[in-house]
Amino acid sequence: MINSILRFGIIFILLIFLQVLLFNNIKFSGYINPYVYIMFILLLPHTTPSWLLLPVSFLTGLTIDFFSGSPGVHASATLLAGFTRPYVLRLIAPRDGYESGSDLSMLAYGFRWFLIYTVIIVLIHHILLFYLEVFRLADFFRTLIRVILSSIFTITFILLAEFYRKGR
Amino acid sequence: MRNLLNFLAKYNNLIIFLILEGVALSLLFSGNSYHNTRLVKGVKGLTKGIEEKIYNIRTYLDLREINLSLASENTALRNQMGRLLKEGNVLFFSVTDSLFGQKYQFTPAEVIGNSVNRQKNYLTLSKGKKHGIEPDMAVTNSDGIIGVVVGSSRNFSIAMSLLNLDFRLSARIKSNGYFGSLTWEGRDYRHVILSEIPQHVVVNKGDTIETTGYSAVFPEGIMIGTVSDISRSGSDFYKITISLVADFKKLHFVNIVGNMKKTEQLELENLFQ
Repeated sequence: MINSILRFGIIFILLIFLQVLLFNNIKFSGYINPYVYIMFILLLPHTTPSWLLLPVSFLTGLTIDFFSGSPGVHASATLLAGFTRPYVLRLIAPRDGYESGSDLSMLAYGFRWFLIYTVIIVLIHHILLFYLEVFRLADFFRTLIRVILSSIFTITFILLAEFYRKGR
Repeated sequence: MRNLLNFLAKYNNLIIFLILEGVALSLLFSGNSYHNTRLVKGVKGLTKGIEEKIYNIRTYLDLREINLSLASENTALRNQMGRLLKEGNVLFFSVTDSLFGQKYQFTPAEVIGNSVNRQKNYLTLSKGKKHGIEPDMAVTNSDGIIGVVVGSSRNFSIAMSLLNLDFRLSARIKSNGYFGSLTWEGRDYRHVILSEIPQHVVVNKGDTIETTGYSAVFPEGIMIGTVSDISRSGSDFYKITISLVADFKKLHFVNIVGNMKKTEQLELENLFQ
């Protein structure tokens, strides 16, 4: 228990640092803004009770908000991702269910399962995030392109990081 | 009562979610830009050290370009000075008159933090209250208008970039003097929109757009950009797209402009409005 709190604490700090120092500085024509910190929400154990999962996702988003000066935007998007996570997990559950001891990782449930899981959560998160930030319907399709391009980058990063974890 | 408890137990997920989402959204909507920047300032202190290091390395790599732009600005200023000295032809002036009719005071500052990809972009500048920087001072560089200071701490200040949906600026067409309102649409960091120019006015592509002196914040006649596209919006007005002269992606040095006669102007204006 203590061990896993420590482990996720380290993952949390690492992802926040990566996001704030590296990915927030990618300014590729305003279209690609990957938000990789969402990986933290993906990796939390599936036994996490929802009374804990929701505040944790809220605080994760709020931390990013603090660093990027956009109060509430990341918090609400990450919160929605955390809220939908149990439903997504139920929707794409493997045939014999989730093992209680194992992580939600590529190693345990396979590449295809992990890809679907990542794509759904990242899309939910990015769609709310970008539309909240723009907050107009005038640029609907332009925002959609930003969502898609940024999601591709985020998903690619998460898959690469997961491969690295698997490789070790 | 028991029904209520049952209900709460059944939907506790949803209830926590709605409460937290309400908090997040109220943060988003109540946060007017000034408080946002105060929040940013408070927490930015944490990342400031590292950001400054990265910034130092970046400026070193760009030194050549910075030197070139400084040299060309020097030349322009020298030319201007030459002209003024001849025109004014002042031989004697009182030593105690420290202002000598000066209206604007310029303070050089470095850009430490900058973004162009958000909808509400802000700049972090390396001068603060210690150097006399206060909210509502204009930020310019040798190419034109950059933004306006919205908050300052002891050593740093935060400026709202021209690339911010909340930014409004009164601007005019240099050739004929018609003025309109300048805003950013949130799309492209190289273009802004000038609206409220009536359709009977002759506007050509390439016309220069500059600031008016109406706001008491920006000095008059500072270049903003040139007209790149003209379209008619609605019945009476043009929607003019302006390509900016300043490149917001590589800002290094800026001037913070304080209007020394601002209080006087504002007091008088308040008296009659």
